[in-house]
Amino acid sequence: MTTKDIVKVTLNLVVIYVIGGLILAFVYAKASPIMYVKQKEEKERALKKMIPEADKIEVSGTWEPHGKHAEYYTAKKGNEEIGYIIQSFGKGYSSYINMLASVDKNFTLKKVSILSHAETPGLGDEIEKDYFLRQFNGKTLDNLVIVKEETKDKIQAISGATISSRAVTEDGLRSGVKALRDKLSGEAKDAAGH
Amino acid sequence: MQQGTNWELIKNGMFKENTLFRMAISLCPAIAVTASMKNGILMGVAVLFVQVMVNMTVSSIRQFINPRIRLPIYMIVIAGWVSVIDMTMAAYAREAYKQIGLYIQLIVAFASILAKAESFASKNKIVPSMMDGVGMGLGFLLAMIVISFFRELLGKGTLLGLDIAGGKPLLIMVLPAGGFFAFGLLMGFFNWIDIRFFGGKGAGGAGGH
Repeated sequence: MTTKDIVKVTLNLVVIYVIGGLILAFVYAKASPIMYVKQKEEKERALKKMIPEADKIEVSGTWEPHGKHAEYYTAKKGNEEIGYIIQSFGKGYSSYINMLASVDKNFTLKKVSILSHAETPGLGDEIEKDYFLRQFNGKTLDNLVIVKEETKDKIQAISGATISSRAVTEDGLRSGVKALRDKLSGEAKDAAGH
Repeated sequence: MQQGTNWELIKNGMFKENTLFRMAISLCPAIAVTASMKNGILMGVAVLFVQVMVNMTVSSIRQFINPRIRLPIYMIVIAGWVSVIDMTMAAYAREAYKQIGLYIQLIVAFASILAKAESFASKNKIVPSMMDGVGMGLGFLLAMIVISFFRELLGKGTLLGLDIAGGKPLLIMVLPAGGFFAFGLLMGFFNWIDIRFFGGKGAGGAGGH
């Protein structure tokens, strides 16, 4: 290979990669603001769905499951607090599962929804399905245990996806509800102390 | 050079050079997502689109590619198209993106797309390259539908999410190991048909990602 060849090959590669990079930068610049706005709208809609009877849902604090930023919210109807929503992360089979859970004032679960994850398609992604999520309705902290057989007061794992099921139930929700309870009772004590 | 009418090119990709059953490449992503028919179809459609776009792009810039560095250039064309589709869908088609976003990025690792860029698009004009891409993509889609049909029906007792069998006859079919079973049996079946009725020699590809 002569020096001329080397220069030619290098230039060829550089030119094509720069063009490719510019195209990607252009698409990203167009798409990312739209992505941001839509994600925000989706989040608001998702929160509203968690406690439909609330007319105001406010961020009341943050916590850090697995070192990630997560928020918890207080739902109000008029001036009365009717429940809370907590965002949590569970460490699944191939990703961190991002979820929302709503509880009433006694920390009994009302609804759980999965915001995002990258679990195995066809197996782990069944955590989004209604037949799995429906089980959480009415459960309290002590019920949040995964078992493999049919159950009334615990949570039945999805067949073939025990790790993902456990990530949602035990890693995500149980620690989430616990954290929410600790944070809120801490706040109440703080308020009483002042 | 494999030239022919457009229809022959499409048929070639769908049957004679079927990515999965004849060439036995791109198996990893194919087996990973065929546990349900909906996923299989969505993945097949995404691959069809990327294959066509990559073939057309490579074909149109083929005079500017130095043969010594053709592979890195094919790679950026593939990765570029996949990223463009990924970002565009994330912004404008969020509902569909939620369904197939998981798979779009897998397409970068498809041997069949790189193989066709190298063996066909880099030597042919745009229209035949497009037809070749359509054929390969349709062949892949077809194979995905067949595999996922059996896996979902036997593994979950459903088709496209609708309950058919009531119960789960053979749960192992939706597990990763079942993917290999289903694929191996179907490939054997297609080889048998080929040898029995078309006088072929059967396929036994080298495999690949």
